[in-house]
Amino acid sequence: MTLSPPADSKLVPRLGIKLDNISKRYGDHVVLDDVSLHVEPGTVTALIGPSGAGKSTFLRCINLLERPDAGTIRVAGHTIEPGKAVNGRDLAALRSTVGMVFQSFNLFPHMTALKNVSFPQQRVLGRSKEEADARSMQLLERVGLKEKAGQHPGRCSGGQQQRIAIARALALDPSIMLFDEPTSALDPEVGLEVLSVMRELAADGMTMVVVTHEMQFARDVSDTLVVMADCKIIEQGDPKAIMSDPAEARTRRFLRAVLER
Amino acid sequence: MNAFTAVLEGLPLTVGLTLAAFAIGISGAVPLALGLSSPVVPLQLACRLFVDLVRGVPIIVWLFLLKFGIQIGTFKFNPVGAAIVGLGVVSVAYLAEIYRGGLQAVPRGQLEAAHALGLPRGSTFFRVVVPQAFRIVSPSIATYLVGLLKDSSIASTIIVAEMVFQSQSFARQHPTVEGILPYVIVGVVYIALSLPVAYLSRWLDARMRKVVHV
Repeated sequence: MTLSPPADSKLVPRLGIKLDNISKRYGDHVVLDDVSLHVEPGTVTALIGPSGAGKSTFLRCINLLERPDAGTIRVAGHTIEPGKAVNGRDLAALRSTVGMVFQSFNLFPHMTALKNVSFPQQRVLGRSKEEADARSMQLLERVGLKEKAGQHPGRCSGGQQQRIAIARALALDPSIMLFDEPTSALDPEVGLEVLSVMRELAADGMTMVVVTHEMQFARDVSDTLVVMADCKIIEQGDPKAIMSDPAEARTRRFLRAVLER
Repeated sequence: MNAFTAVLEGLPLTVGLTLAAFAIGISGAVPLALGLSSPVVPLQLACRLFVDLVRGVPIIVWLFLLKFGIQIGTFKFNPVGAAIVGLGVVSVAYLAEIYRGGLQAVPRGQLEAAHALGLPRGSTFFRVVVPQAFRIVSPSIATYLVGLLKDSSIASTIIVAEMVFQSQSFARQHPTVEGILPYVIVGVVYIALSLPVAYLSRWLDARMRKVVHV
């Protein structure tokens, strides 16, 4: 059994991400300055860089939680141009093909773990309760939390909550998964549970974009390492090559700071 | 007739007035709260103006305006109707403000998660936002209900024969020390009515906290 749905791997052509010339500003404050990134289907991209570099904002442009001021977004066969209105149906279609995991989990606190995973399937994909629950149990088991199905998130540890959140995102059978600092709110030991689920997901061939400070994970799991600083991508390429011999002085400075901790 | 039965004679009207105004309030406040949180600026301003206007004037003034101002029309010879409408409209304004606060207190991340999942607007609002907002506001609603129960006594000023009105007329008929009795009794009855609401609210709140564990 794999984490991604079976249909994903064989029948449906897997789709990547192409972001071109993305710019975003809040008033006078520039957040993203003409940033472009292409992600091949089935690959893992790690986004690293100092805070304030624009990593999270850039990630959130992929599923349009942030609307860029300029640039083109092509995600899983959908194209979004800035300035043009996006109708609700297109937006929903795009979002259901892109799963997202947040730093603060954002599980629905008034629903059990099972309901958290099943409810979106019923509302977004129109699955019956039985169908949705069956898929949810499958995914909860896969993230090692079958026994937590009946518990509310408040009764689960941070690591468990994050794994439930991953199951919730996967339940909509996305072809792309976005992770916004998924382990930053967790202590290191608990973070490992989450990282191991993410490693399995990557091994299954899920297209992933991960904003992270976990250098070990970025080095071992990602196919492409992208370094952002000052609202731009300053360097990208093979993670091991960049980490051992960064081309940019800014990257060197950042890596030294992170690795010294 | 002794003081106790005199006070009790007003009990049905006190309870009825309170519940009727509360019913108007909790339902009427829903659209108003949505208006207050609307991104459509003119609508939001209109709702804000209404809320501030209603809350800015003492209830007793509204009741007098309703009773004597519209005496020619709808509320002629109907002080109970005027009191229900007056207290109801005031409740709409106060509860709308409570609801709005509750809607705003739901963490932003909850909406982001719902958006990222592609949940339809209706599901996002009714299944994600409202249940959490309700948990946040339910103690305030209970507090408001207890306040409204006591404020319903203001209706006595426009000749609604609720408990305070009955106490006053008893006192007027017994201009001795006995005249103080109905006021002591009515105070005890108000407390007896408020306590269950307060306890129910605390119990509900504790129960919701226990289930959700926040």
